[in-house]
Amino acid sequence: MTEKVWQRLDGALTFSLPLCALGMLIALSALLFGVTLIALMSGSFPMSAGDALRSMAGHPPSDMAATVVWEFRLPRALAAAMAGALLAGSGAVLQTVTRNALADPSLVGVSQGAGLAVVTLLVLYPGTPTALRPVLAFFGALAVAALIQTIAARRSNGATMRFILTGIGVAAFLGAVTQAMLTYGDLNRAMSALAWLAGSIHAVNWGDVQILAITFVLIVPALIWAARPLEALRMGSEIATGLGAAVTRDRALLITLSVALAASAVAIVGPLGFVGLIAPHLARRLARSGPGVHLALSLVTGAVLVSAADLIGRTVFAPVQLPAGLVTAVIGAPVFAWLLLTRRGS
Amino acid sequence: MTGMRAGVFLFAIPGLAFVFAWHIAVGAKVIPLRTVVEALVAYDETLFDHVVIRDLRVPRALIGAAAGAGLAVAGALMQGVTRNPLADPGLLGLLAGASFLVVLGSFAGLSAPSAIPALAAVGALGAAALVWGIASAVPGGATPMTLVLAGAAVTAFLAALTAIMLLLDETSFDSLRVWLTGTLAGTRGATEIWAVAWLALGLTVALSASRQVTALAMGDDAATGLGVNVQKLRLAILLSVVALTASAVALVGPMGFVGLVVPHIVRLTVGHDYRLIVPGAALGGAIFMLLADIAARMLLAPVEISTGLITALVGAPFFVWLVRARL
Repeated sequence: MTEKVWQRLDGALTFSLPLCALGMLIALSALLFGVTLIALMSGSFPMSAGDALRSMAGHPPSDMAATVVWEFRLPRALAAAMAGALLAGSGAVLQTVTRNALADPSLVGVSQGAGLAVVTLLVLYPGTPTALRPVLAFFGALAVAALIQTIAARRSNGATMRFILTGIGVAAFLGAVTQAMLTYGDLNRAMSALAWLAGSIHAVNWGDVQILAITFVLIVPALIWAARPLEALRMGSEIATGLGAAVTRDRALLITLSVALAASAVAIVGPLGFVGLIAPHLARRLARSGPGVHLALSLVTGAVLVSAADLIGRTVFAPVQLPAGLVTAVIGAPVFAWLLLTRRGS
Repeated sequence: MTGMRAGVFLFAIPGLAFVFAWHIAVGAKVIPLRTVVEALVAYDETLFDHVVIRDLRVPRALIGAAAGAGLAVAGALMQGVTRNPLADPGLLGLLAGASFLVVLGSFAGLSAPSAIPALAAVGALGAAALVWGIASAVPGGATPMTLVLAGAAVTAFLAALTAIMLLLDETSFDSLRVWLTGTLAGTRGATEIWAVAWLALGLTVALSASRQVTALAMGDDAATGLGVNVQKLRLAILLSVVALTASAVALVGPMGFVGLVVPHIVRLTVGHDYRLIVPGAALGGAIFMLLADIAARMLLAPVEISTGLITALVGAPFFVWLVRARL
């Protein structure tokens, strides 16, 4: 039994609950908690799970433990989880709207657009407050999304791959402009931008977590709204029109939402690759569900992925810290190849 | 007709000579073209400008011209043999494979001048095999699109591994870090001699096979009908492409898009005969690379940016246009 269905008034009122998917959601949340707890425990100042929890609860075993947990590890763990969730949500929406299993914000240049906007800001106007970064990242990413849509959307045959190929070209171009910007910029400023560009969660502070949390709260209602049009659009635009959806409007709104999700994550942790690609596929494999539940599952899966990637990146070769973006690329690129191999013919 | 098209070379060769001299003249200190020519014909070691030209600028120009020629010929051969307008050593993962193995070699202590091009060749071959393997296994087979997507996956994977290796040993890899962005700056000493040997090997194979490549570009059946041993030719071309890519990577690092852009432009001017395309691509690649390096040094002067960024700035829009126009 994968779902519980209640029927009232001889089926006139039906309410179904995807039990399997909900169970998976709870299991993933538990996994996220577990990974976060391990992240709080491990590092150059290791502590037991009990000590980490006691520090969280406000009864730290030592001042040192309190500082380590509250100042360094907790903001980092929270930022990783939230950024992962945002990127995964972006990928899930993008894949459904473009009906393209290979779509990912970092693969089609949307993340690089956000990245270029932020690097330009860092290099040219270093004094700008961090809170402005997500806004700028959003407009940079939105411009790129519009550009790729116009270039790629003209012809219908092979549109799936054309979209990705165009994105790869645009991403290469933006990457080169960003690198040139870094070379031009003052070395110290360029260095801080460089760490950020590698997709590093190393340097986050509570201010960044706050920004991520605010965007998260703002975006959740939009995601709840998105479930309905996504349901219609995943059947294809003809059927969606037949179902009475305002396809053009919904598509534009959903792509804007996807861009906003990616941009707010990229603004804080840099362009973390492949998360938006992997998480929705993983979520789909974990449990069959409608788009709403699938979106929720993707968010938690993305959170687990980036939390784990950041944990791996900072512990495996300690004291060297690998940016989480490199870990996600090492895992994500083979997954991309595998998706290419198992794709149904376009 | 062929004679008229061959006439393009009457312009291309002086063009290369001019760009070469211009490239030498540009730099931190601008040297008049007159002095450049004097230093090349009548070298006087008491003049500071002449020493700068002889010891710094000429080697740089030669390295750039050689690497550009190698990459462009490799791209032309790949496009002809696979009949894929998007074929390029960078897009199909060969550059990433070559640079990955070079960095891995340095990591394991293998950084002898003779080892670097050899490592690059093995890496390029491995990456090419991997990309081809993935793309052929995709439902629908190895089309230009699936090849580029497989190349993107392999490149992303190898680039991440390369970046991890660099992070693990920060101090000894400063020169490699610059090299990885594709640059003509900095000397690699005796590596250059070995790289040029690989380049010569690749160019020789390319020129001697160019006639048969023309036949193969028309289709396997047409080539077989014209008496071409297709399997043997493919193998020879693979060898040539790998050798050319390896020498270019050893000289200037993974420089993207040169092998994509130049052959298409050359084909516009000399047509579809590979006996003209191969030397044309060699000349065009050298000119393109020197122009890119001039731009890299002049665009944000006095700051010098990596030449690979310029080739990407030109090549990426060209790639997007090709995807739109030719697929």
